[in-house]
Amino acid sequence: MRSASSTLSEPSSPQTKRRNLFYIAIALLSLVGLADSIYLTVQHITGESVRCTIISGCSEVLSSSYAVIGGYPLASIGAFAYFSVFSLAILAVFGYRVAGQWLLPVVLAMCLVSLWLIYLQAFVIRHFCQFCLLSAGITFTMTVLVLLNWRLNRP
Amino acid sequence: MKSKTPFIIILLVLAVAIGGAWYLKRAATKPTNPTMTSAANNGNTSAVRNGTAPPAAAGVNGAEPPHTLGPASAPVRLEEFGDFECPPCGLLHPILEQMRSEFGERVQITFREFPLVPTHQHAMAAASAAEAAALQGKFWEMHDLLYENQKAWHELFDVRPVFEGYAKQIGLDVERYKRDVNSDVVAQRIFQDGKRGHYLGVKGTPSLFMNGREIPFESMPADSLRVLINKELSGSK
Repeated sequence: MRSASSTLSEPSSPQTKRRNLFYIAIALLSLVGLADSIYLTVQHITGESVRCTIISGCSEVLSSSYAVIGGYPLASIGAFAYFSVFSLAILAVFGYRVAGQWLLPVVLAMCLVSLWLIYLQAFVIRHFCQFCLLSAGITFTMTVLVLLNWRLNRP
Repeated sequence: MKSKTPFIIILLVLAVAIGGAWYLKRAATKPTNPTMTSAANNGNTSAVRNGTAPPAAAGVNGAEPPHTLGPASAPVRLEEFGDFECPPCGLLHPILEQMRSEFGERVQITFREFPLVPTHQHAMAAASAAEAAALQGKFWEMHDLLYENQKAWHELFDVRPVFEGYAKQIGLDVERYKRDVNSDVVAQRIFQDGKRGHYLGVKGTPSLFMNGREIPFESMPADSLRVLINKELSGSK
C-alpha cells in the first residue's frame, strides 16, 4: 500500500483531468481490442479459423504459420497485451503514475507488431482478415493517443 | 479505498473476459440443432414424400442417391460436406479412409458437395468433375484423385485439361465426361447438396456429421474421431 500511495499524483488539476480522458479512451479502446482478440483466440482453439469458409481472408490468415508463436495462438498474446494496456490505463486514471509511464512503451511495441502483421497479410499471406485489421486500427489509435498524451505532458 | 477501486475494475474485466471466452468456446463447439439435423439425416425420404416428416425437412435431403461408402445399416453414419479445393478437407480425406479401414462395415460415409464459391476458384469445376464421373459410376475414384492431387491443380489457371486427364486415368468415356461436366444433372446435384448443407447450418468445410450431429472441427483428427465413433458404437449396442 505504501508504494501505491507514493505513486499517486495530485488529483483534480486541469492537466490531470485531460490526462485521465486520454487514459479512459485508451482503456475503452483496449476493451474492444480485448474482445476482438478473445474472439480470434477461441476461433483458433476450436479450429473454426482453420476451416475454409465462404468469407475468404480470415481462414487463410489465421491458419497460416504466423498465427502461432511458441505454440500459443498469436491472438491470445494480443488478448494479454490488450488486458495489460487496460490495466495500466485504469491504474493511471486512479493516479498510479508509473502505470501511465509504462503505457507508452507497451503501446509502441504493440504498434510495431501490428505493422509487421499488416506487412505479412499484404505481402506474404496475401489475404486480409478483418478482425486482424480491426485490432491493428485499435492499436494505431491507441498509439496516437499515447503519443499525444506524452507530448502534452512533456516537462 | 481509492487504491483498491482500479484493481476491482481490472479483476471484473478479467472475469468478464474469461467468461466471454468460455461462452464463445461453448457456442462454437455446440452441435447445430441436433433435433433438426437428425430428422433431416434419417434419410427417410418416404416420410418426406408422405408428408409425415416436419415441413422444414422437405427438399433438404441433398442429391439423390447420395455418394456413400459402406452399408446403409451401419450404426455410424458419417456425412461430410466437402470442397475439393479446401486444404483441411484434403487433410480429412485420409482420416476418413483410415476410419473406414478400421471400422469396416460399422461405418457408412456419405460425401456431399459444398464448393466454396468464390473463395475457391476451382471448387465448382472440381465438384462438377466428381459428379460427372459419378454419372459413369466412378465418383469415389475421381473424389480420391481430386483430393490426393489437390496441391497440383488448385493454383492452376485452367483445371479442365487436368480433370479430363483424371477422367481418362480412371477409365471414363472422356467425351461423355466433357458433356456431363456442364450438364444440368451435375449442376442440380451440387445445388441439392449445397441446399442440404445450408439447411444443416454448414458454414465452412469440412463439416462432418455423425448420425445427424455435427462433429466439432477440433474432433476431426483421427484419434478424436476414433474415440467419437467408438462412443457412438458402444451407445448403439
